[in-house]
Amino acid sequence: MSATDRARRTNFLLDVTLFVICILLLTPLILLIANGFKTPQEMLVWPPTLFPKDPTLENFHKVFTETPLLRWMLNSFLFAILSTVAIVATSALAGYIIGKFPFRTINIIFILFLATAIIPFEVYMIPLYFQVKALGLLNSVGGLLVGYLVMSFGIFLIRQNVIASIPDELLEAARIDGAGELWIFWYVVLPLLRGPLAALAVLAFFQAWTAFAWPIIVMTRKKSFTIEVGLANFQSAYTVDLSLLSAASAAVMVPSVLAFVLLRRNFVEGIAASGMKE
Amino acid sequence: MATVEIKELHKSFGDVEILHGISFTIPDGAFVALVGPSGCGKSTILRLIAGLEEITSGEIHIGDNIINDVEPKNRNIAMVFQNYALYPHLTVAQNMGFSLKLLKKSKAEIERAVQHTAEILGVNKLLHRLPKQLSGGQRQRVAMGRAIVRKPQVFLFDEPLSNLDAKLRVQMRAELKALHRRLATTTVYVTHDQIEAMTMADIVVVMRNGNVEQVGRPLELYDKPVNQFVAGFIGSPAMGFLPATTKVGSSEMVLSDGQVLSKPTCTALDGGYIIGLRPEHIQLGGNGASFKATIEASEQTGSETLLLARLADQEITILLRERFDTTIGDVHTFVIDPTAVQVFDSKTGARLET
Repeated sequence: MSATDRARRTNFLLDVTLFVICILLLTPLILLIANGFKTPQEMLVWPPTLFPKDPTLENFHKVFTETPLLRWMLNSFLFAILSTVAIVATSALAGYIIGKFPFRTINIIFILFLATAIIPFEVYMIPLYFQVKALGLLNSVGGLLVGYLVMSFGIFLIRQNVIASIPDELLEAARIDGAGELWIFWYVVLPLLRGPLAALAVLAFFQAWTAFAWPIIVMTRKKSFTIEVGLANFQSAYTVDLSLLSAASAAVMVPSVLAFVLLRRNFVEGIAASGMKE
Repeated sequence: MATVEIKELHKSFGDVEILHGISFTIPDGAFVALVGPSGCGKSTILRLIAGLEEITSGEIHIGDNIINDVEPKNRNIAMVFQNYALYPHLTVAQNMGFSLKLLKKSKAEIERAVQHTAEILGVNKLLHRLPKQLSGGQRQRVAMGRAIVRKPQVFLFDEPLSNLDAKLRVQMRAELKALHRRLATTTVYVTHDQIEAMTMADIVVVMRNGNVEQVGRPLELYDKPVNQFVAGFIGSPAMGFLPATTKVGSSEMVLSDGQVLSKPTCTALDGGYIIGLRPEHIQLGGNGASFKATIEASEQTGSETLLLARLADQEITILLRERFDTTIGDVHTFVIDPTAVQVFDSKTGARLET
């Protein structure tokens, strides 16, 4: 067998393998969307059908009328946007200062920032809950945001970018040109950090959008649920109504998918930069 | 425009003292080059003048003012950096108008100034490009434009040509010099390249290890270096150094291999010292002291022949203004005018007057 034949066979095997993996990954998603359109009877058919025989919009109608799904999505959206704005702002400021003003105390603070990344959220979730409760912030976006205002990874990411892509001379040139420090930050540093900040924004948005543990303990009133908490609630309150849950999940996916399509490049950058996805 | 005066300038980073009491004056409108090997503190002086570093002790005057505690932006200076430091997200015009915008000048005024400067530098067709769309030489011009446009009292250049290729560097050297003639603004120019310093500056300040070795006009440094360091640093190819001795009352300089050169006139020398030979002062024939040297390498450039030769166990360079066929290992006789020989104290390195 010649080398080209062998290469062709390897490529073919690779394609087949990737295709199978792709199908395996997509099937649950397709099933979920399909389930949203099925009647309760068809839900119970075994083996499950991939495409509904008798598609119905009943489930979606029910979900949107009987549960405050839109409200939950709005809550999630508000929470995610505010968290993103806060994380981008704090990371940009802290990352720049840590990267360009390396005093000893600042380095110690940076190490403390980093240290928080290795402490799992669950460890301090309960004390934080009591604090938020004492502040009277339960069932409010404010309470939800505590813990989602600063991201130690974001500070790290921006610091690295500042060190790698903003030369000292640029800041010095601006200082000689007569710019103040805030001016430099706003008109020189921020525009140069647009790429990493966009990547960070995507990461921060989805971190908040998919948050579950914290919202479920802080938001106890049905009206103030986030979408993740709301979806989980289908299981107890509605006795695992699979078709309703599927319809709700499918509806919730729409903004996520839309955001992914629009921000695909930033999304990939963010994951590539962090090596993590949630 | 203004005089820059530096008085007893000390600078330490932590426990390490970088500048050990530097003093010199830059006359109004002069082009002064600070030159020296890397780590000699020349860039630090520039950064101190710019206000990017804090002065440990001493004074810097610009014009009539002590500027030790003046913010960089209030010193009325402009600096050109080695890597140009252009704002990558701004166009050429925005880069050049940056400082004027900060001075709250009107839009029309900024545009006029930028246009005028761009014409001087020949970048007026590039005003709408971003820095990454420019070549090295164009970036260099824009960086200079950014400095010129605000009409500062003093220009500071930090090795501005070292990122350019050799040919462009020569061209920009001439352009910079012409620009200085035109603007006549006091200029401080830092370089490690003595040729740049020699060709461009009115006054050269040679530095080593945080001290000023000599301040003078370029040819003054070349003809009358105060010590062996300056003699070796200024001039390319570099001066060759040989230890020699003279017996009391004798008129001969004896090299370590026993060869004898006649002594420069009117020199009272005895004991050991170092002699310095400029490569171009050594010739194949003519009047003067002759010596034999072994050829170690030969480079022909067409108009000149550069020889690396061994004499009295030291390497010396010989620059002949003619073609010269030789093979490695050959021994040739060369001649040097005794008055062109420079003599240095072997202990202190100071040049002895001949």
